[in-house]
Amino acid sequence: MDVVDLARTQFAVTGSLHFLFVVLTLGLAPLVAIMHTRYAIGGNPLHERMTRFWGQIYVINYALGIVTGLVMEFQFGMSWSGLSRYAGDVFGAPLAMETLLAFFLESTFLGLWIFGWHRLPRGLHVACIWLVTLTAYASALFIMVANSFLQNPAGSAEEGGRLVLRDFGALFTNPTLVFALPHVLSAGLWAGGFVVMGASAYHLFRRTPEREFFTRSLRVGVLTAFVGSLFTVGFGYAQFGPVGDVQPDKFHGAVPGTALGLMITIGQLVQFTVMFVLAPLLIRDVLARSRWLHPLLMVMTPLPFVAAIAGWLVREVGRQPWMVYGKLSVADALTPGLTRADITASFAGFAGVLGLLALVDYVLIARAVRRGPGRVALGAADLPVTAEPVPAHSL
Amino acid sequence: MDIFWFLTFAVLLAGYFALEGFDIGLGALLPVLGRSPADRDRLVGAMAPFVLANEVWLVALAGVLFGAFPVLDGRALSRLYPLVVVLLLAWIVRDAGLWFRRRADGAAWRLAWDGALWAGSTGLALAWGAILVAVARGLPASPLDVPAVAGGLALLALLAWHGRTFAAWRLQDGPRGSGRALLLSACAAAAPAVLVMAAAAGHMLGNAAPDQTLTVLSVMVVPAAPILVGAQVWVWRTFSRGALPTFF
Repeated sequence: MDVVDLARTQFAVTGSLHFLFVVLTLGLAPLVAIMHTRYAIGGNPLHERMTRFWGQIYVINYALGIVTGLVMEFQFGMSWSGLSRYAGDVFGAPLAMETLLAFFLESTFLGLWIFGWHRLPRGLHVACIWLVTLTAYASALFIMVANSFLQNPAGSAEEGGRLVLRDFGALFTNPTLVFALPHVLSAGLWAGGFVVMGASAYHLFRRTPEREFFTRSLRVGVLTAFVGSLFTVGFGYAQFGPVGDVQPDKFHGAVPGTALGLMITIGQLVQFTVMFVLAPLLIRDVLARSRWLHPLLMVMTPLPFVAAIAGWLVREVGRQPWMVYGKLSVADALTPGLTRADITASFAGFAGVLGLLALVDYVLIARAVRRGPGRVALGAADLPVTAEPVPAHSL
Repeated sequence: MDIFWFLTFAVLLAGYFALEGFDIGLGALLPVLGRSPADRDRLVGAMAPFVLANEVWLVALAGVLFGAFPVLDGRALSRLYPLVVVLLLAWIVRDAGLWFRRRADGAAWRLAWDGALWAGSTGLALAWGAILVAVARGLPASPLDVPAVAGGLALLALLAWHGRTFAAWRLQDGPRGSGRALLLSACAAAAPAVLVMAAAAGHMLGNAAPDQTLTVLSVMVVPAAPILVGAQVWVWRTFSRGALPTFF
């Protein structure tokens, strides 16, 4: 591989890892917010347990979203300084807004929510998780605005060999954005719904004592997946028109073509399964009582994640060889003077460390699911601020 | 307009070192101040509710660099390539230590992630020291040499002092460390970055994005500034005293 290919692969690997975790964050955040709101209004202890259990899954997953995102943000300047030189005056604006208007607040409010148990008044504590959800969605908006600009550089014009911003509003009405954003957000709901569904099926299959907890959770998971899958598929097909207009040969390559087929196959089959089989079986909790179906639900859990990665492969590989479609090639966007040794060492470091942490994170999520709602660390008792006296050892 | 965004950048950088500086310093001092597992739990509990609100200043800083000074973003990050790689890896390892240390049982598990927290924090301080030295010298071609190492060690000592002051203030060990001492160590932690910024001011102002980009950024961001500040103040009002949360 030459330097361009290595830098591309590095971006693809870190970007895919990032989205595996982000897609679940986007889906679980509103679910946890709704559970927490129901607890705050009704005071039902079951809703508190659901908030803390699913909230803990959400925050364990969140850790990897942060650390992979850091690498993404810095990679633009490190590997692709040609992009910032040519298009930074336009492309940089939505990225700067993402960090200031969305992620800065998301991270601050998430800290308040995670550590605010026993401390914040209930109403304000609930407000924190809603603000986290809102800013997470705002993040998705700004990142998709930036990505859509690469697909179709709307709102800009070339002046003296660089792109300048002409119409900021056009960045937000970009035809490659308007259907892709709800497609991505719905895919998040689908993934979140499937994780809740699969984890609930595990406990129901194992016949753990938490029957009511996971019967209700299963309902939440399947209904969320129902809504998410319907809109994901709808907004997926809706994109063919605008994409055909601005990137007519997008699906012609081997990778985007294959990934598109895979995504549509998974999306269509699973959406029909949710709509015509799983959702109707929620009536009178038939699904929760049909133990023989539970292993199938567990096996289906990773499918929205596979489809989501396939979706990004379609979108990004289908843009090649362009960095900014029709304007700047990926090869020209590469940082001048970047050596093979530089990129190989950083690729090995980032992929190795992030890959390992991703595995650890998934093991920890599986472990938190297995331990169930009885042993949740989120919202556990505080430590006293002064050191406790050390008990004397008996001889 | 370019002056406004340069000042925003400088404030974010100074704020990052004043705030995240004590998390980094405390992490680097973890084996010294926290001899027993229980001591380390208290130290981590002291900084834990602040970390998410503190580290995000650097994310915002990188966003402003890219949005308002895109040409410099590419030039600086590619010149500092190896140092930025070390910085990011250290940051990742530090965060993993915080997030994972309590996620499984067993003394060995927690010790291992406390080690990651220490190594990551130390690496962050060393990398930042070297980066500030490199920027002050106008981005030399090979940023890893004796002055860089000296800068790293000096910043490590400074942030360790800041972290220790924070721990004394929050944990009330011995005589209650005063808020004034913490303010002083925060200013000291930010001072090197502010000096480097002052030296780089002319270069940055000459490389800002054009006015139409900066105007759009201002119109979008300035109205939200009170919310950003308010959220940070809320964190300090909530977690400055009382029992220590245990999630990290």
